[in-house]
Amino acid sequence: MAGPLEQFEIKPLAELSVAGIDVSFTNSALWMVIAAVLVTGFMTLSMRRGALVPGRWQGAAEVMYEFVANMLKDNVGTAGRKYFPFVFTLFMFVLFGNLLGMIPHSFTFTSHIAVTFAMALVIFIGVTIIGFVRHGTHYFRMFFPAGAPIATAFILIPIEIISYFSRPFSLAIRLFANMTVGHIMLKVIGGFVGLIGIFGVLPFALLTGITVLEFGIAALQAYVYTILTCIYLHDAIHMH
Amino acid sequence: MPQFDIATFSEQIFWLFVIFGILYFLMSKIALPKVGEVLERRHKTIEDNLGKARALKDETDAAIAKYEAALAEARDAAQADIREATEKAAAEQAAKTEALVKKLSKKTADAEKAIAGAKDDAMKGVAEAASEIAREATDKLIGVKVQAKTADKAVSAIVGE
Repeated sequence: MAGPLEQFEIKPLAELSVAGIDVSFTNSALWMVIAAVLVTGFMTLSMRRGALVPGRWQGAAEVMYEFVANMLKDNVGTAGRKYFPFVFTLFMFVLFGNLLGMIPHSFTFTSHIAVTFAMALVIFIGVTIIGFVRHGTHYFRMFFPAGAPIATAFILIPIEIISYFSRPFSLAIRLFANMTVGHIMLKVIGGFVGLIGIFGVLPFALLTGITVLEFGIAALQAYVYTILTCIYLHDAIHMH
Repeated sequence: MPQFDIATFSEQIFWLFVIFGILYFLMSKIALPKVGEVLERRHKTIEDNLGKARALKDETDAAIAKYEAALAEARDAAQADIREATEKAAAEQAAKTEALVKKLSKKTADAEKAIAGAKDDAMKGVAEAASEIAREATDKLIGVKVQAKTADKAVSAIVGE
């Protein structure tokens, strides 16, 4: 029986290296490609007719579009309009990564800290650049909000700096931890089903419930990842 | 835990950037503009149709107002016609009645005249007969022959002509 951590193993499918750095095409990369292909297929094939009265697939694609567009509008406002393609891509990529992970024997690339942290770092650096481009040195006011008594600067500034720099970590660890723990739990409880004979129905029932829960978490964590990105964008564009 | 195997980081991050980059390109250049365009066109079509509906409603309202004005005009005209016809009929009726009354009173007058004529004739006959009888009677009773003229005079005096 495979251990609960085996599902997270990165297995190279084609060895590759560029300038001495290992860039092998792995199962992780394969599932990223599958996610990207599915997202692209979903968003283009469903809109192929571009009907005035949408069918089922077109309606679904439009719902995703408007869902992310509204999220961005509500959290960032109209100034966030030009970041919509990025936010949309981020949401769909994470959502499909999470949901594809629910397929037995698949691979969940969002359960890897390297992936979630790399994305979080891009968001963090991008948002910081946007903040400085829009506000110049005034962006440093982020660490000491206007209106706060000057005497609190000693405490407030370190707290704000820590909170600002912990953003990519909280973003990355939340997604990675949720995905990893969920999959370990499914694997461990699934292991009990066969081990305890007839009483296996109990963990099986539990497993059924947790599977439903995990689908919810897969969608929810994609949403959380995206909405936090929106909130950071809001801070960069409008300050506090 | 495989997640903390630093040796796999470079390959994961490399492919993440490549695939995310391609997906970003496909979304921003192909998929999303199309969705936006479809949504925009639908929004515009709905707005256009609403505008058209509003214009048609205005047109309908105008037509109804026109129809009502025409109806009121026609009603007024009809009432005027009825009034005129009634007056004309009443006048005609009055004229006819008057003519009939005239004719009847003329007939009555004629009849009265005829009756008076007949009465005169009858009275004349009576007087003649009375004078004749008087002459015969005087002749037979006292043998005096009375002249016709004298007898007539005497009768007339009695009758009071």
